[in-house]
Amino acid sequence: MATVGTLYIDKKSPIHSLDGSIKLLMLLLWTAIVFMFTDIRVFIGLIIFGTILIKIANITFKEVKPLVMFLLIFTFFNSIFLILITPTYGSELIDQYTPIFNILGRPLTYETLWFAVTLSLKYLAILPITILFIFTTHPSRFASSLNKIGVSYKIAYAVNIALRYIPDVRDEFVNIMHAQEARGVAFRKGEANLITRFKNYNTILIPLVLSSLNRVEVVSNAMNLRGFGSRKTRTWYNGRKYGKLDFIALTLLIVGTIVGIIVSRLYLTGFWYPF
Amino acid sequence: MKKETTKPIIEFKEFNFQYRSLGSPTLKNINLSIYPGDKVLIAGPSGSGKSTLGHCLNGLIPFSYSGEITGKLVINGIEPHKTSIFHISSHVSTILQDQDGQFVGLSVGEDVAFRDENKNVPLDIMRKDVVTALKKVKMEEYINKSPQELSGGLKQRASLAGIVMSEAPILLFDEPLANLDPASGQSAMKLISDIHENNNKTTIVIEHRIEDVLAEKFDKIIIIDKGTIVASGTPTELILDGSLKKNGLREPLYVETMRYANIDFSNLDILNIQTLNTKPIKESINSWIDGVIHNKTHYPEKILKIKDLTFSYDNKENIIENINFDLYKGEIISLLGNNGAGKSTLSKVITGICKEQKGSISYLGEDIKKWSIRKRGQKIGYVMQNPNHMITQETLIDEVSFGLKLRNYKKDEILKKAEETLKICGLYPFRNWPITALSYGQKKRLSIATILALDPSILILDEPTAGQDYRHYLEFMQFIEKLSKTGISIIFITHDMHLALEYSNRAIVLSNGKIIKNDTVSNVLSDNDILSTANLKKISVSTLAEVLEIDEKLLLETFINYDHREVE
Repeated sequence: MATVGTLYIDKKSPIHSLDGSIKLLMLLLWTAIVFMFTDIRVFIGLIIFGTILIKIANITFKEVKPLVMFLLIFTFFNSIFLILITPTYGSELIDQYTPIFNILGRPLTYETLWFAVTLSLKYLAILPITILFIFTTHPSRFASSLNKIGVSYKIAYAVNIALRYIPDVRDEFVNIMHAQEARGVAFRKGEANLITRFKNYNTILIPLVLSSLNRVEVVSNAMNLRGFGSRKTRTWYNGRKYGKLDFIALTLLIVGTIVGIIVSRLYLTGFWYPF
Repeated sequence: MKKETTKPIIEFKEFNFQYRSLGSPTLKNINLSIYPGDKVLIAGPSGSGKSTLGHCLNGLIPFSYSGEITGKLVINGIEPHKTSIFHISSHVSTILQDQDGQFVGLSVGEDVAFRDENKNVPLDIMRKDVVTALKKVKMEEYINKSPQELSGGLKQRASLAGIVMSEAPILLFDEPLANLDPASGQSAMKLISDIHENNNKTTIVIEHRIEDVLAEKFDKIIIIDKGTIVASGTPTELILDGSLKKNGLREPLYVETMRYANIDFSNLDILNIQTLNTKPIKESINSWIDGVIHNKTHYPEKILKIKDLTFSYDNKENIIENINFDLYKGEIISLLGNNGAGKSTLSKVITGICKEQKGSISYLGEDIKKWSIRKRGQKIGYVMQNPNHMITQETLIDEVSFGLKLRNYKKDEILKKAEETLKICGLYPFRNWPITALSYGQKKRLSIATILALDPSILILDEPTAGQDYRHYLEFMQFIEKLSKTGISIIFITHDMHLALEYSNRAIVLSNGKIIKNDTVSNVLSDNDILSTANLKKISVSTLAEVLEIDEKLLLETFINYDHREVE
């Protein structure tokens, strides 16, 4: 059972000690760059680079397996739909038709197949940075770094509060479900048809919402009584100053982004098809 | 003890308060002075206004709950309602009763630092503060633990660490014993006393569990009922003149015992139990014991047999292990043990919510392994601690009918059964009311009615009396006892020792997932080893027996029998 509502795994590595705001920036820029390209070579490069970073962060495959599997399945189905719905899309992009066979009355082309592979790798190229961000960013340190880059501390602290109470609400959900179940409300397979079972979740929702509202009241009272919101700024127990490593990472990040933009505009423009 | 010459630190003068949403005032004509360094208990039944009084002290009134204030209130030289909640918090520090709700940090250290954070205390000083505070409550080694890893008692202790560092001269505790097991409650009261003595802070405790609170010394008790102060004085004064009892509060159990034995209280140092070893007291108690008839009810028909029951979530660590016990028709048993001992898990296995790895449960001789949760639910009703978790409909009659509808009863049958059940539970006059208009105790009763309508033969009640004052407790327990007389077997899951003592025929004590004792209540309560293993504690009747050198079990049993006879 996870003890907090996050996937953060406490380890020691240069990546872990990077400031949360830098990692957030990295996530955003990395994703932006990925979307500038339709070139499989770039994606493979980023995946390899990302995997090296994951190694540096001491994250094992076992820890991230569920997430990887989810994304693999997602991209697989994504590709299937792409092929079914627009079997000539890849060809249209580069004006080159090499049909393989007919699919739903239209020809599927090698170019589309390649495009599907490229697109899958595009999604997978975002995976390493996502993993790095969610598995190495300490939740409350993240809140403080959001505040540091200018986000109002009341909003930044909301992140903390959400993470704090997610497990409690989850437990409460299970408890209410059990209570209703013992009373005869059907939630499990074989007890009623799908629609009834789905409707039955309403019986959980009402008590859950009411008790959550009640919790909001208690938590906000508790916070007020301890002076939350009394001043314009606050300090953070888990707050840190930017270190040398953060500046190095930031510099690399900026350089990388500029290189990425230049390369995508001047050299590797458009959909790359080698054949 | 009275410091008439010093100025009071808290002073109410002809103070009234009315919530904006209510038609009449909740606090009426409060006149009250509390002096610096005093330790004061504010007691009163549910709905008496004692929590409202607390809210007036810490500023939740009027800054979170608005309403009309008349009269005068001065705290440490300020008029709180004319400042802000933040300003008040530097005069009054509060510990709320919800241990979970007030723990806002993602770790102990972070939670303790919360006040400092909001005051812009620099990081290096803050870290030192946190360590100092945690040392004061002996929790240094927990600094990096998350709230999910802590018991209620430890969470509360972390909150205490959060306030020992504050400069506020007044500490306010709102029902500090709620949801704590007896041993944690005892150490919480002790810690509050230590903080009071070492820091010379004015300490105000709001509680209705007198037996547990008065284990520590108080300078003054203030009793509130229906929004006014009905009595105030030293604990000894209020026990001697019977004010506690008169106002719906329960006296410490040893005092009750002595009243039963008709002992004259005048000239006794009643709170100092060690001084009570006098010849006349001992004689009175002994002759009282001789006069009480010990009735033993026999329960012949076995209804539930639990054999070698074992359950784990991950197949590694057993949450419950080799549980064996029988339940008889019409019997009331208590399932005792600390948080995490496996009480709730055991009831989840019995009701089928969790599937056992090993062992069997048989109902009237039939193995119920194959029974679905729904089918079990018809015979074994499970009532959760929080009635709000069970209530899903708008009116009482709908709520009770809901379970019957799910079981495909006929329309006219549903109405008849629902009305009947509401009558049994004393809720019939409110049948068309919206549920939101009910009090907590009534909701609790309704949650039982919803289960009762299904004609179960066993009821499992999780912490049935939590959050109820003595008056409601008595009413509720008499209702449960009446149910048991109709042949329904009852299992209480509880850490309320009084409940176990007075209303169960038998107690089963769980620790670390195993049954460590299955015996009469008096045998359990007089077994020191069992009590300390399971985080339970002796009740004051045992202490009295010890002081008087009377057989402990005999005194406990007499108390149960006498107390019970009086109730019937």
